[in-house]
Amino acid sequence: MTDLVAQALYSGVLTGSAYALIALGLALVFGTMRIINLAHGELVLLAAYIAYTCESQLGLFPLLSIPAAIVVVCVATTLTWYVVGRIERDHELNSLLLTYGIGVMLTNGALLVWRADIRSTKSAWLQEPVVLGPLYAMRSEVLFFVVSVVLIGALWWWLTRTWAGRALRATASNRDAAMLMGIDPRRVQLVSFLVAGLLAAFAGTAIYTIGVIQPSLGISLTVKAFIITVLAGMGSVPGVLAGALLLGVTESLTTTFASSALQELAGMVLFLLVLFVRPSGLFGRRIGAV
Amino acid sequence: MRGRSLSALVVVLALYALVPVALGGNLYLMSMVVAALTIGGIALAWALLGNLGGLVSFGHAAFFGVGSYASAILVMKAGWPIAAGLLAGGVFAAVSAILMLPALRLRGPYFALAVLAYAHIFRIIATEWKSLTGGAGGIANIPRFPVVLGYDFSGKTGAYWIVLTIVVLFVLVYDRVRNSDYGLALRAMHDSEEATRVVGVNSTLLKAAMLFLSAFMTGVLGAFNAHYINFLEPDYAFSGLWTMLPIVAAIFGGYRTITGPVLGALVVYLVDQLVFKELMPIGHQIILGALLGAMILFAPAGMLPALLRRRGWRHA
Amino acid sequence: MLDLAGVSVQFGGLRALDDVSLRVAAGEIVGLVGPNGAGKTTLFNVVSGTVAARQGTLAFDGADLAPLPTHARARRGVGRTFQIPQPMHTLTVTENLLVAQRFGAGRIDRAALAEILDLVGLSGKAGIDAATGLSLTELKALEVAKALATGPRLLLLDEVLAGLEAHGKRMFTQLLGAIHARYRLAILIIEHDIETISTLCPRVAVLDFGRLIADGPPGEVFRHPDVVASYTGRGRVDA
Repeated sequence: MTDLVAQALYSGVLTGSAYALIALGLALVFGTMRIINLAHGELVLLAAYIAYTCESQLGLFPLLSIPAAIVVVCVATTLTWYVVGRIERDHELNSLLLTYGIGVMLTNGALLVWRADIRSTKSAWLQEPVVLGPLYAMRSEVLFFVVSVVLIGALWWWLTRTWAGRALRATASNRDAAMLMGIDPRRVQLVSFLVAGLLAAFAGTAIYTIGVIQPSLGISLTVKAFIITVLAGMGSVPGVLAGALLLGVTESLTTTFASSALQELAGMVLFLLVLFVRPSGLFGRRIGAV
Repeated sequence: MRGRSLSALVVVLALYALVPVALGGNLYLMSMVVAALTIGGIALAWALLGNLGGLVSFGHAAFFGVGSYASAILVMKAGWPIAAGLLAGGVFAAVSAILMLPALRLRGPYFALAVLAYAHIFRIIATEWKSLTGGAGGIANIPRFPVVLGYDFSGKTGAYWIVLTIVVLFVLVYDRVRNSDYGLALRAMHDSEEATRVVGVNSTLLKAAMLFLSAFMTGVLGAFNAHYINFLEPDYAFSGLWTMLPIVAAIFGGYRTITGPVLGALVVYLVDQLVFKELMPIGHQIILGALLGAMILFAPAGMLPALLRRRGWRHA
Repeated sequence: MLDLAGVSVQFGGLRALDDVSLRVAAGEIVGLVGPNGAGKTTLFNVVSGTVAARQGTLAFDGADLAPLPTHARARRGVGRTFQIPQPMHTLTVTENLLVAQRFGAGRIDRAALAEILDLVGLSGKAGIDAATGLSLTELKALEVAKALATGPRLLLLDEVLAGLEAHGKRMFTQLLGAIHARYRLAILIIEHDIETISTLCPRVAVLDFGRLIADGPPGEVFRHPDVVASYTGRGRVDA
């Protein structure tokens, strides 16, 4: 029994690390632009399909597709940043509708180009099990866990120690004040989009090598990233990490003790619980006494 | 005002009488119109939630699906009459919205996503709860509309009349609410909820009421669709299309108006089915996504209003 | 009628209100003064329901207000204006009052509405769009009118005079006197203008760093050494 739980925890943490990359990207963009990019999951999907194309058409090892994924996804996010910036009125509502439209285009684009079939990596090396005592994982899971940790660490360092990162945090905290300090919000927003794109590219490749992909995955990932940000509460990067791990572990425990079909439901129940009991999130700042 | 109501009445009567006469023979077109009106009704419910409730939803498919299944199950397993099933579809959808109440305190974009998450989850529940919903295989042979007063409503024309009646009723309800004291308070809430609260408005309750109303309307349409199509499965009933098409329709037709969403649905759906689908059988929704994006950038108040304004017209 | 006892409010590390006890009797006019940041608006927020108190009790007409949400308190008779006017933009002046009457007082009374508009001097602007057609003075008048329309028995006025020049101040001071005479309600008013407060209020309470440091007739209060110190650091105020 404890073996099962330990395995579930282990797998959950590994999966959670990929979720963290996705959720962080969403949170960064929300922080600087105050918009939720409803197409974010589709960006991850795009990266995943690029990995697929590189592997199936060019015979490349999936990890080598990452540079291509980064380029394509960053171009997509730059375009998104550009069009969202052109919205003049009702910014909150219209940006939601616009990114929703972009998401629809990307999902259907994926459907058009790659059809609805389920795809996954054929690389045997990536799928080989790695055994750590009683715990088992695929090589790809462990590999991308390490990659995620490195990326998140780098992001943390970048946000706290570089001027660009500080500018981003300043804009997220108080846009007008940041402008008064000479920070160009548009540039900062572009940077946040690019960073989100970078993280998404890695996450997409990870998902391709770890699981299966199909066009409908885009929305599913956006929903998960959203659930994580609610779990985390606003303005908390460590919270996003913890939320991502929590979601990963919850899904994994559900798969082990119930069924894999219910794992999405598990995330939802978690989401509802937090919403009912602690709406500011598990790690969010509690403002005032209300 | 009197003149407007009279001309509206004439138009509605014409819709009842003339459309079946003009199109009755062409079953394909009739089914397009019925589908377009269904989408139009959802678009109206969506716009109502946005305009009056100040809430944007990206998951109306949730309400549609719940309504579909509720009616199908009650009629087939509990022997309810279809009319009661339609109402029950609405009620169950509204009840499912209760789960969304905590999401009301989330800020705008978060609420929109929350509803999307709910739609996602309801679909999974419908797929997994096999004993109740038939699982992924769905429910087949859902009873058709019956014979009432000698007329068989199970055909296309019958369905057309039923859905037209539903949509007309919704238009009337929307109008009544918008012009009531509550409508006034709801409009005021957009600026500052706190300012309305200190003068005694229970803003949370009003928003919740709009959510329930919007859910109810969409649920009724879902129930209608179940008995019209006679078949249900989770991927169909909770399909993202029931969310996306109404949104594009409402934006196209002008979501700030009452009839705009319905008119927008007629145009958008018919063009999508008759033109886009011919050009691009798979993934034709890409054009819809692009259309939505283009409208947001260039005509956020809707394309129909923009076009009509050029000709000096205005509509409700 | 209003009875705060031992109310404390904390925002993170900041004690915005510290063990404040204050009573306002029916029909009384009480001034609330203190330096910026003393907690005056927070006190209003506690009474109107925007902010919850950590400790202490809050009673209105003997009934506990704490479990009631803001709108319920408004219906009970707690009226409140905001320092920065918050009109209902998309509505006209009349519609603003209609909403306040319908939901705050429970029924619409056109005669009473017209009287309020007349009293605050907005009769001529009844059909005007609140968002675009009003000057600052008129917006403040609307703020007061809205609160009156709910039929309050206690009116919380948050710095209605701020930003007004001498003429506007005189006008509003007269208005407040007229309101009190006509409706006989209790008024709790936050103001910085000591002269106005002394004229208008038979009783003044002073807050400093969240604590109530004085409570009594203006003549006494403004000579109280703690009050003087909080305003000037040292010395006396010649009232």
